[in-house]
Amino acid sequence: MDAAHIRNFSIIAHIDHGKTTLSDRLLHMTGTIATREMEEQLLDSMDLERERGITIKAHPVTMLYKAKNGETYELNLIDTPGHVDFAYEVSRSLSACEGALLIIDAAQGVEAQTVANVHLAMKQNLTVIPVINKIDLPHANVPQTRQQLEDILAIPAESAIEASAKEGIGIEEILEAIVERIPHPKPTGEVGLQALVFDSYFDTYKGVVSHVRVFNGELKPGMLVKLLHSGKTVEVKEVGSFNPKPYLRDRLQLGETGYITANIKSPQEVKMGDTITDVRSTAGPLPGFKEIHPMVFSGIYPINTSDYEHLKANLGKLQLNDSAFVYQAETSVALGFGFRCGFLGLLHLEIVQERLRREYGMDIIATYPSVIYKVLMTDGTLKQVDNPAFLPEPTYIESIEEPMVKTFVICPNEYIGDMMALISEKRGAIDHTETLDARRVMLTSLLPLNEILIDFHDRIKSITRGYGSMDYEHAGYRQSDMVKLDMLVNAEAVDAFSCIVHRDKAESRGRALAAKLKEVIPRQQYVVAIQAAIGGKVVARETVGALRKDVTAKCYGGDISRKRKLLEKQKEGKKRMKSFGSVNIPQEAFIEVLKA
Amino acid sequence: MSDAIIGPVVSLYVHVPFCARKCSYCAFYSEPSTGEEINRYVAALTREMEWIQCQRPLQTIFFGGGTPSILNLRQWEEILTTMHRLKLLPAAEFTVECNPATVSLDKARLLHDLGVNRISMGVQSLDEALLDRLGRVHSREMVFKSWDILRKAGFQNLNLDLMFAIPGQTMTVWESTLAEALAMGSEHMSTYEVIYEDDTPLYAQLQAGEVAEDEDLSCAMFEKLVERTVSCGFEQYEIANFARSSIPAGLTATTIPPIPDVPRLACRHNVNYWRGGQFHGLGPGATAYVAGVRSRNWANTQLYCEQIEKGCRAVESSECLPPRRRAGETAAFGLRMPAGWPFATFLEVTGYDLQKEWGDAIQELVAQGWGELSKDSFRLTSEGLRFADSAAQLFLGD
Ligand SMILES: Nc1nc2c(ncn2[C@@H]2O[C@H](COP(=O)(O)OP(=O)(O)OP(=O)(O)O)[C@@H](O)[C@H]2O)c(=O)[nH]1
Ligand code: SF4
Ligand SMILES: [Mg+2]
Repeated sequence: MDAAHIRNFSIIAHIDHGKTTLSDRLLHMTGTIATREMEEQLLDSMDLERERGITIKAHPVTMLYKAKNGETYELNLIDTPGHVDFAYEVSRSLSACEGALLIIDAAQGVEAQTVANVHLAMKQNLTVIPVINKIDLPHANVPQTRQQLEDILAIPAESAIEASAKEGIGIEEILEAIVERIPHPKPTGEVGLQALVFDSYFDTYKGVVSHVRVFNGELKPGMLVKLLHSGKTVEVKEVGSFNPKPYLRDRLQLGETGYITANIKSPQEVKMGDTITDVRSTAGPLPGFKEIHPMVFSGIYPINTSDYEHLKANLGKLQLNDSAFVYQAETSVALGFGFRCGFLGLLHLEIVQERLRREYGMDIIATYPSVIYKVLMTDGTLKQVDNPAFLPEPTYIESIEEPMVKTFVICPNEYIGDMMALISEKRGAIDHTETLDARRVMLTSLLPLNEILIDFHDRIKSITRGYGSMDYEHAGYRQSDMVKLDMLVNAEAVDAFSCIVHRDKAESRGRALAAKLKEVIPRQQYVVAIQAAIGGKVVARETVGALRKDVTAKCYGGDISRKRKLLEKQKEGKKRMKSFGSVNIPQEAFIEVLKA
Repeated sequence: MSDAIIGPVVSLYVHVPFCARKCSYCAFYSEPSTGEEINRYVAALTREMEWIQCQRPLQTIFFGGGTPSILNLRQWEEILTTMHRLKLLPAAEFTVECNPATVSLDKARLLHDLGVNRISMGVQSLDEALLDRLGRVHSREMVFKSWDILRKAGFQNLNLDLMFAIPGQTMTVWESTLAEALAMGSEHMSTYEVIYEDDTPLYAQLQAGEVAEDEDLSCAMFEKLVERTVSCGFEQYEIANFARSSIPAGLTATTIPPIPDVPRLACRHNVNYWRGGQFHGLGPGATAYVAGVRSRNWANTQLYCEQIEKGCRAVESSECLPPRRRAGETAAFGLRMPAGWPFATFLEVTGYDLQKEWGDAIQELVAQGWGELSKDSFRLTSEGLRFADSAAQLFLGD
């Protein structure tokens, strides 16, 4: 297709405002998929995405649309995730586009990530088309949403299209706006091919499948191309697009979006944001985008030590489709050999763990998540610590700095008091408050990252009865009085439960952890003592009483088969517990402790 | 070394799937029903009896339920005369389960006269409030009344079923139930701890937080049980089963040879289960274990009857473990008896040498103080019996 008839756009929004549902509609309306193939959340292809009703990966699709002017256009859509943890997917997708559909839930109005995503799009000079979605809802408030567009985002209210992705209202108008308002791709002015790699996934047969956007020239099978960043030269095997399943094309031209394969076996060789050029040309690199770095770390260990190699292989496979996820080998006194893994946030961490358990059938234990601390030693050296086990002894420490984040919380006026209490409970300070409209304010505050990791978002939701939302960005480091909290089980420190906490919170945290462990460690044949200690000083203790019997006092002919199966299952369960000295700690304990 | 010596089947279990009303803890297959349905069941059952291959007469027979005593006189007569005609009777031990609400003197006499020589009475508790909570149809008074009727009808081998760890049951209540039950002077006592089975009202109450489990209390109750029964002259011959050794004058159930270390009035039928013996199972939902295969009839009376009427067996599922796993299962369940396993007996039943095949498990148990090894047998200690499920796991699986 000639560039004048191509439009590339992303769909951005706050979580759950209806991006995926609208994408489905567009696919349907353009006949990309027939009604009978229609399932809800078509673009959410991972089981996990469907189950949780959220999008995790960005999904590109190519559609053909016959516009009212009688001409046919190639529309390349990229659905994006809404959750903060995956904001980097959004910015990557945006860099492949000229425009963005901004979806706003008419009942919720502008929320924290609406603001954040619009800023991302503006920064990249994209044309934004506002869509006010869910107008079918009885409590939809279109005029107010229009007002918020003007007031909060400085987007002309009259440019918004009213729609209901669910009822199919406004879909054609959206498609027309895409054609009319979003600029078509233009050559970069350089000579020869320039294509941006904005995502990739791994296919067992084809190797790395790279998602590309051609900015200049064209991509064809058989071409020899260079990956500028890695310096690698490869032969293009296949080029194609998604509808949403991958299909072959004979070329990808200027402005088009699709994928290529080139027999690349290792995803490390393809860097996100890299530029692909023709070996014979001298075209330079495209702007690319900022690399993202994991912010949250946790150890992942196999329950059965013999699964180590297997786990390693599966982590590798996961990384193939998730470039934000990093891992490296480490050992733990309590858990043996495992991996230190880095994640973008807690949702990302949960998702990786869940995929390992479910898709790969691995029995794993994950340690308490940690951020990266900068430790200034008394000898003047600086250490980066992302694992509490490696925090040096206090006597060698001069000071510790912890990572901070700037958070933006939008909340209805009546909850400001509770929100401020939450922020100060989390060791944060409010920087300023802005009135967004008659009902809502935005609180900008500075908080330690480790405080928002676990339940900050959930707490906001519950304080505001679901009406609050938040977004954050990283804001450097700050010196803090941090200490290491150890958990001891029968006097043995279980390093997997250790964490670095602020001194003022260490004791209450220790008590909470001890109480939680008491709940989740099953009774054993002897007494189990649980203690929390800060620098060797015990601050909390709990006891799990000894099991006095393990026998069901009833077993006759009819029960034998059933009973045998039950006992076999329990035996399997015991194998899946981790033993520390003589104490068995079930997998769930490690998960529950996360939530304590 | 895996072929057990499989002799003729000497035990028979018959399931009577009817109850007046469902108890709140019950996960057995049973349902309320009309006289018509029971007639149809009796016809199917007697037909199914014709097909079994076994030793004639049988050594042990057990009618369980459901509520076998719910059948009327005519229905019982039909079943028992059929069994005589088929030469399944007279059996050395023939037990019928009775609900205290359904025992009449006529019925008791009929059973006694036609070869039943042991009655197992489902008492469960002697506390009215708890009986109510369990959803039992009978009262305390009915227990005592039925008891007298059974004795009057001539039964000299009676069992009482009691439950403990019932939600709301205090130690005091349990002790007084125990004392009253022991005072009744039964020959046998079998007990069980409340189990919260899926799909029972009791389980739902547990989920809803209306009742709670108290592990320490149920353990104390179990200890109290063992202490009280033993001091009244019973012998604990399985985790939750107690029997007397002395045979009452006039009891004729002595035609089968005694089992070493097991009291004379132990329930032979159940001992056969725990020691890996074969048994047929007739009736809806009944299980059987014949020639190494465990099978189960359809737990659906209508379907069961239809199958039998068509001349087909009513087996819903069957399972045959590989010989070594089967032997492991036998080892595990046999250890529920304090007598444990004489190695010779185990070899005879399973074809495996217990000491050789599970030497590690035995060592582990002995080291832990849970097992006791002698020259020719292995058993669990009284401490080990309290952890019999953990011990069993060492013998199960591959
Ligand atoms: N009533 C109504 N509900 C809608 C409409 N559009 C979407 N929804 C519902 O809103 C919920 C969220 O929709 P999604 O399409 O998954 O939202 P999303 O923005 O893709 O969410 P993430 O990918 O998790 O950020 C779903 O339950 C949809 O059925 C609409 O127009 N009207
Ligand atoms: S009488 Fe026995 S079989 Fe019938 S419902 Fe009660 S417990 Fe279950
Ligand atoms: Mg989505």
